[in-house]
Amino acid sequence: MSAAALPRPDVTPPEAWAFPMPSESLTDNGIRVLSYAVPGQYVISLRLVVPLSLADEPLDREGVAVMTARLLDEGTAQHTSDEFAELMERTGMVLGASVTDGALSVDVDVPQRFLPQALDLMRQALAEPAFPEAEVRRILRSRLAEIEQERASAPHRGAREMTSQLWASSERASRPTGGTVASIRALTRDDIVEFHRAHVGPRGATLVVAGDLTGLDVPHVVETGLGSWHNSSHVEPSPVRAPLPAGGGTRVVLVDRPGSVQSELIVAAPGPDRSAPSGWEPYPVLSFIVGGSPSARVDAVLREDKGYTYGIRAGFRPRARGGSFVTSGSVRADATVDALRLLVDILAKAREGFSDREIRSGIDFVVQTAPGRYATADAVADEASALAIEHLPLDFQTRTLQRMGELDDERLRTAYAEVVTGEWVIVVVGDAASLRDGIEGLELGSVTVVPN
Amino acid sequence: MPLDYPIHERTLPNGLRVVVSPDTSVPNVTVNIWVGVGSRHEVVGRTGFAHLFEHLMFQGSRNVASGEHFEALMAQGGRLNATTWFDRTNYFETVPKGALELALWLEVDRHGHLLDAVNQANLDNQRDVVKEEKRQRYDNQPYGNALIDVYAAVFPEGHPYHHSTIGSMEDLDAASLEDVHAFFRRHYAPDNTVLTLCGDITPDDGFALVERYFGPIAPHPEPRRGPVDALMPLTAPVRVERREEVPNDRLHIAFRLPVDETEEFAAASLALDALGGLASSRLVRRLVRKEQTALGVHATSWGFVDGVSLGFVVVDVATEADATSVESALLEEFERFAVEGPTEAELEAALAQAERSWLSMLASQEERADALSHYALLHGEPQLINTHLDRLRAVTPEQVRAAAAQWLRPESRAVVAYLAEVDTEEVA
Repeated sequence: MSAAALPRPDVTPPEAWAFPMPSESLTDNGIRVLSYAVPGQYVISLRLVVPLSLADEPLDREGVAVMTARLLDEGTAQHTSDEFAELMERTGMVLGASVTDGALSVDVDVPQRFLPQALDLMRQALAEPAFPEAEVRRILRSRLAEIEQERASAPHRGAREMTSQLWASSERASRPTGGTVASIRALTRDDIVEFHRAHVGPRGATLVVAGDLTGLDVPHVVETGLGSWHNSSHVEPSPVRAPLPAGGGTRVVLVDRPGSVQSELIVAAPGPDRSAPSGWEPYPVLSFIVGGSPSARVDAVLREDKGYTYGIRAGFRPRARGGSFVTSGSVRADATVDALRLLVDILAKAREGFSDREIRSGIDFVVQTAPGRYATADAVADEASALAIEHLPLDFQTRTLQRMGELDDERLRTAYAEVVTGEWVIVVVGDAASLRDGIEGLELGSVTVVPN
Repeated sequence: MPLDYPIHERTLPNGLRVVVSPDTSVPNVTVNIWVGVGSRHEVVGRTGFAHLFEHLMFQGSRNVASGEHFEALMAQGGRLNATTWFDRTNYFETVPKGALELALWLEVDRHGHLLDAVNQANLDNQRDVVKEEKRQRYDNQPYGNALIDVYAAVFPEGHPYHHSTIGSMEDLDAASLEDVHAFFRRHYAPDNTVLTLCGDITPDDGFALVERYFGPIAPHPEPRRGPVDALMPLTAPVRVERREEVPNDRLHIAFRLPVDETEEFAAASLALDALGGLASSRLVRRLVRKEQTALGVHATSWGFVDGVSLGFVVVDVATEADATSVESALLEEFERFAVEGPTEAELEAALAQAERSWLSMLASQEERADALSHYALLHGEPQLINTHLDRLRAVTPEQVRAAAAQWLRPESRAVVAYLAEVDTEEVA
């Protein structure tokens, strides 16, 4: 078909790269503003982070933080929910609000020419939400429907079981961030008004502005848009801390879904957050080597050799404080027991160390994909807001990537062994009747069957 | 006002169309390849084959071992994948610029010389992987097969869009190595391919490199069919009902739409946005916020090239509401819209949202490269990415109304209803 093949080309090493540094300013009402100039990015990404601790939710009202976030743009002092949606959409903006263990975040993307209007609408959502009774009822009802949707999805159902098993039952982290059926049913408009009054204010907040800022006086535009936001009732959040693990040795929880054509497997252990004292740099590399690609250790066997799965991924998942190491994916129902056996074996064997080739590829993948992973305004803004939530320095990425270059087998092995002690929380979502005996036969630990 | 992304184009003597779009903001280059074959080209008894074939493109070629394509590029900081869709198959990687030649070398090895390496073991393994993909994404998901039902309800038997890209597992079981050879020879050819480079590269260097690696592939033109005849809207409603263990009733109300990149398609997609594609759309206002009979309403339009496109509205029915009444209310709004057309606010919102999502899409070098290949391969002109928003803004309210009146009529709908089993009484 062609002339002789050309020789395989050599690769020339990439130039050094650094995560962009912002200009910093402070608004009169105390918001720290981080402006990232990303030329050529015509949609501006705004990320407003209000520090929060989920431990501050009343115990019988869990989910109030997420419900408050979802209701911010469902009616304000000046506009009904319908009007507010229309105003946002006519200015080309999209607004999302979410809650993690360390913050309430409001994310806005908007074409540059509409930035002033977007900031004004953002302020109205944060400062003047009206929480109309009808909208409150609707949002709570849709959360109840969402809980049912999540129960119907094997990965979601499995993840819920995993967190409830991984953390001590006294920990907020062991229960869904968005609340349970019981806690959502108990919520009233007053709970939401009160939560907003006490926990959502400009003090301690960070605003990230990323995109093409040519011709923009960011401090001035932000002051005009958000400067009049005040909340004298805002209380200092409790310090966020890592959740206590449940402990108790390896166990398997089998969530019963009779007739399931696949089983969802989750193998998890508590892990570090990005402020780990010995450094975060080993963990992205370990994620890649163990379960970050079709040729990583897990899928080389379970997908490429055995054909049991479309793909299984392993990775370290940092929270604001604390974290986890989770391997998860779906496998063919009749291959479940063998897949679980192989998976636990592969994860255990990685404690013995990694080859030079694996280490080199892992480091090069993580370090050299960084410029592309942080090329767009939204990616820069997401990372900058994560740094704010986790109280990490602005050059965290740059320094972590520099240190990554020096990782060796001993360092990776030690970091892995700190997390992978051989004690796992294992969740299988599948047909219990056909799986139970086989899983018990693996002798991994106690096997409990729970209903879906 | 048009956007001004730089676009340079050249066709190699063997027929390969090359697009280069320089962008020095990041020291990366995206290589994005579109091959003019998708599930619409599959023949009866071989559905799902284009997608299975795409998997085989990662299992080795003349000088590349199975799995090496992924491994070699990821080890150099590459991010890569491939996807199959109705109209095409794409292969793409974003690499540090120093690894661009390696990426091209790997690509030409499989696009030119795949058949040297394909074997029965690889075929069997990837057939298993694809079956797990189908179980994971379709069979083991609530409502997972709904869109497959939509395609079959909206498009007639034998039509290119009647079946999904994942296809039928029986057909995959029947696929042989000989099919793989025939498919490759039939569809994988320079004259049926567009290669885009987007990133830190000059047009001269880009064209020279592509010429160096892809120039030696011999042309092997095959007669390629033009688009099939245009389809008009359905003349009578079609209904598919499934009783399954789903958390709530879900309706998919689907319509045929005009072919992509026409004024009529732009008008019909704006009509669907105004009706159900926005948080301020009239169906969301009425069903979700006012009457609260729906948990959510989402409208989508997918442009296709083979004589017809697809539009659909997905409605999650609130537990205490009745799916039939929700459907009637929805049809009432469609009928009203076909008479009144969009309000000024609706059209303004639809255009402003289209602007943000188009600019956000082009903000990413990967997605920009994909858009360039898309417009070059399927519409013959990559420059269209710079003028897309202008064409959308030129659509008049009357055109939007007329498109709804012609394409979104109640009698032209296909409804796929996934209804919760009546006797399930599970409580969380």
